[in-house]
Amino acid sequence: MSDIPLLEARALTKRFRGLHAIERVSFVLRRGEMLGLIGPNGAGKTTLVNVISGTLPADSGKLFFEGAPIDHLPPYERAHLGIGRTFQVMKPFPRLTVLENVAVGALFGYHGGEHDLKVAREQARALLDFTGLMHRADQQADQLGGPDRKRLELAKALALKPKLLLLDEVMAGLNPAEIDDVVGVVKKIRDAGTSILVIEHVMRAIRSLSDRIIVLHHGEMLAEGEPNAILGDERVIEAYLGKRRA
Amino acid sequence: MLRAAILALCVLALAGVPLLGDEVLIQYGIDALLFATLAQAWNILGGFTGYVSFGNSSFYGLGVYGTAIAMAQLHWPFGVGLAVGAALAVGCAVLFGIPILRLRGHYFAIATLGLSATLAAIIANIDIAGKNIGLILPLTRADAAFYEEALLLLIAATATVAWIAKSRFGAALLAIREDEDAALVMGINTTRYKIAALTLSAFFTAIAGGIHAYWITFVDPGGAFDLTLNVRMVIMAMFGGPGTVFGPLLGAFILSAVYDVLASSISTAAALLFGLVIVLAVIFMPRGLWDLAGGFRRSGARYLLQNIRAHRL
Repeated sequence: MSDIPLLEARALTKRFRGLHAIERVSFVLRRGEMLGLIGPNGAGKTTLVNVISGTLPADSGKLFFEGAPIDHLPPYERAHLGIGRTFQVMKPFPRLTVLENVAVGALFGYHGGEHDLKVAREQARALLDFTGLMHRADQQADQLGGPDRKRLELAKALALKPKLLLLDEVMAGLNPAEIDDVVGVVKKIRDAGTSILVIEHVMRAIRSLSDRIIVLHHGEMLAEGEPNAILGDERVIEAYLGKRRA
Repeated sequence: MLRAAILALCVLALAGVPLLGDEVLIQYGIDALLFATLAQAWNILGGFTGYVSFGNSSFYGLGVYGTAIAMAQLHWPFGVGLAVGAALAVGCAVLFGIPILRLRGHYFAIATLGLSATLAAIIANIDIAGKNIGLILPLTRADAAFYEEALLLLIAATATVAWIAKSRFGAALLAIREDEDAALVMGINTTRYKIAALTLSAFFTAIAGGIHAYWITFVDPGGAFDLTLNVRMVIMAMFGGPGTVFGPLLGAFILSAVYDVLASSISTAAALLFGLVIVLAVIFMPRGLWDLAGGFRRSGARYLLQNIRAHRL
């Protein structure tokens, strides 16, 4: 049972009008693992997250969650199974309070969520505490500044009680101190037993967070392996910086 | 506690209006109460999910014709007529909602626009519905009875909205309004909730139509499926405060009064002035009257200026 990977992608492909956003991407994510996903802009990282969360349908390929195919499931059913995600372009519910934002996740998340509003609100409070947003609980979400919006995005996804958390650049645009903050929160999430797929441009963060890293380039898998090996890989450096003139 | 007391007083005062014995006042009252119900019903979908429906006048028309056919042609009692009308409207909401609630924003609004005209054309060709000529309902009752029924309906609609505002169901509707893509990945079956909201909205709208039909005792396709009625629902709900429990009532009562006063004093220019009121309202209080009170408490007169700035005027 436990050797069935939490998430398995087989030859996932998504095209936009002939442009290959992702092309035959295959990988596994094991239980309790923190898998890093890197690649230059336009490599298809966000598309991959969209396909896994169900926001975009894949053109071909297979996707398994805990051994069962999920390709045909709409996003909300994937959330009920335990897949939570954040959006790179953050999507708070702007005119709801921070607490209400998070409570929505608790009300409709894993297994369909809580049916008792009070219970959901308690859970949301605990998550605000966890992500350091408690002092903003009653503010409208559109009043939050950058770092707090990132925290809210995280707290909302966590409220679903996901088994798998997809983090799409939650650290972009933060300063180093704020990044350390968020890295700390993400580590706490992993230590609590949640498996995580993390997309990040901040190399320092991804190196310290990931058990393994996969690299996408032009929608294809370029490399896969242990962080230090990947970040030293000639092909990866080339993809990011261009060919070295020898 | 204080709120509950104020509310109870308002209901009692409204319920007591027929005791004054002023026939004209009662007639204005029935109209205002029915309009408030229509605005409140529209609010369930439009205010809470942000889906602007112009299909509600068709639910109204189905309520009108369901009641009229049942009473005038089949000689069934009024209550059964209302049930027939409501069943037609709810059926239409589900059938129509499933395909078009997949459309977002303006596309949804545009898709709903044609429904009233289509249904009016169909009704005008059905024998039992009296074709183009219409139907005449039995003339039997005093206005006071209609007044109290309209009031009961408004209370039921408002209680439903008050429940929605505090429920898990309402949380789903608000999440859809705020960001539908985010709502989907947060585990919300958005289609199901939107259809449920449209269905509830259709139910109250149809009952209001049925009461109105029996009250004025004459129905015809043009009057029953009148798109301008839908426009008034939207305006009243938006003016009062969409997505709130009491905003649409406030909007409906105030605008009904303004409209009646304007119509009786300067008749032809009434529509023009009515339009002016709407424009000013949208500019200065885009979230409605209900939000105005809170906005003033937060930032005083600056609230109005903030709204202008938010509009980039």
